[in-house]
Amino acid sequence: MSYKIPMGPYHPALEEPYKLDLICEGETVSDAKLHIGFNFRGIEHLAETRNYFQVIALMERVCGICSNIHTLTLCQAMEKLTGLTPPPRAQYIRIVIAELERLHSHVLWAGIAAKLMGFKTMFMTCFEIREQVMDVLQAISGNRVNYSMNRIGGVNRDIEDPLAILSMIEALESGMVKTIIPIFTTSTTARSRCAGIGVLTNEKAISLGVVGPVARASGVGQDLRRAAPYAAYDEMEFEVPVQTDGDVRARLLVRALEIMESCKILRQALTKMPPGELHTGDGKFNFITGTATSRVEAPRGEVMYSVSWREHSRNPSRVHVRTPTFVNMPAIRSMVTGARLADTPLIQASIDPCYSCTDR
Amino acid sequence: MTVLESIPEIPASSEQSLDPWTESGGVYWLNYSDLNVREVAKAMNAMRARFITITAYQENGSDALRLEYHWDIAGRLLGFTFPLAAKSIDSIYDLCEAVDWIEREVHEGFAVDFTGRVYEPLLLREGNTCGVNLREEVAK
Repeated sequence: MSYKIPMGPYHPALEEPYKLDLICEGETVSDAKLHIGFNFRGIEHLAETRNYFQVIALMERVCGICSNIHTLTLCQAMEKLTGLTPPPRAQYIRIVIAELERLHSHVLWAGIAAKLMGFKTMFMTCFEIREQVMDVLQAISGNRVNYSMNRIGGVNRDIEDPLAILSMIEALESGMVKTIIPIFTTSTTARSRCAGIGVLTNEKAISLGVVGPVARASGVGQDLRRAAPYAAYDEMEFEVPVQTDGDVRARLLVRALEIMESCKILRQALTKMPPGELHTGDGKFNFITGTATSRVEAPRGEVMYSVSWREHSRNPSRVHVRTPTFVNMPAIRSMVTGARLADTPLIQASIDPCYSCTDR
Repeated sequence: MTVLESIPEIPASSEQSLDPWTESGGVYWLNYSDLNVREVAKAMNAMRARFITITAYQENGSDALRLEYHWDIAGRLLGFTFPLAAKSIDSIYDLCEAVDWIEREVHEGFAVDFTGRVYEPLLLREGNTCGVNLREEVAK
């Protein structure tokens, strides 16, 4: 006999509200239905009532974890409509902030995954490492969450001593190589909770169009930093980690390897950072009538902004945000079908969902 | 109606003519009028393109809507525009599984009917009405 277990919208295993109705046969999940919308704030509509300065601050608040990525994507789209190109130093600073954000997002996720595995010590270790990244972001921007780094035509703040950040990167790499990666890959607890569960096959990943580490853990090697480079990514050397098992462990491994690649990118960006201006333009912008689109590889995958403007207007006429979690969440249904009920919190967490982004 | 036997390739070099494509705002747009969305979806499937999203726009000064569909091929973003006369368009859900949530979101936000599919509530709760974004209090 089948029965339904509602998980959420408020549940200890969920970081934010959403609802998963699990249809079970005994202890096995036979189907699931997802419900979102509990965080809906109407941000796309609010954007139409904000001018070109205010809209950047507004869109920074779409997401609490990858706030910088939203302003970066928005500013890149607005730069296409104003014809401005950020100077080289600004492009490098954008890379540094984007990769620091990826680091703290991935380490945060590793900590939450450890907590859901019942691995509290690892949760503490991950958060201790994440604090080092947050300290650097705070030292650069003055903020821990909304960094206000991006503006149309460049960045607001300089990184005065780029080489001073290198020691943090070395400490982070050391923590990953000596502690987090070995424990996640060799410990019996981690292996038994992650290997072979929540599988998303390569065919299903392609069919659902999933993005980011979820896609790369199912053998789909797409990464916009490589496929459609923005900022100065075409000057960086890095690998795109891909795993083929498609299970929770593969998603964990992809993110762990991406932390190492982010460290590699950061080291290059910090040591090669060119001197020069932080932004172009005089703060007054002439928008052309039209629509511009920008895409960026956020920690959770591809973010896309479509921004429409009418000439002489101070406000956008339309801002559409396509977030990675919006694309990845439908895959949870495939992942939990056939899984044990007790594994579902970890499986849904394995896509690193951001419900605020999804609902907007 | 333009019948799409295949989608013309986009020239690899920027020095070559893009015709019938044009590049604008970071998107390659196919300049065929009166395209059929299901034919475009079939052609995109044949080219193993990755579906990205649908964006709904309310046309300036009218109730008319247009939808822009985007696919990705090897890092290039392709765009196809479909004006909606009667707030209705064929669903491509049976051709492209990835379109499910965005069709449901556009349906709930702009009351667009994607014909040929069944909806379940996505952002709205039971009893809420579709067309949230078109209400007077949120329309500009």
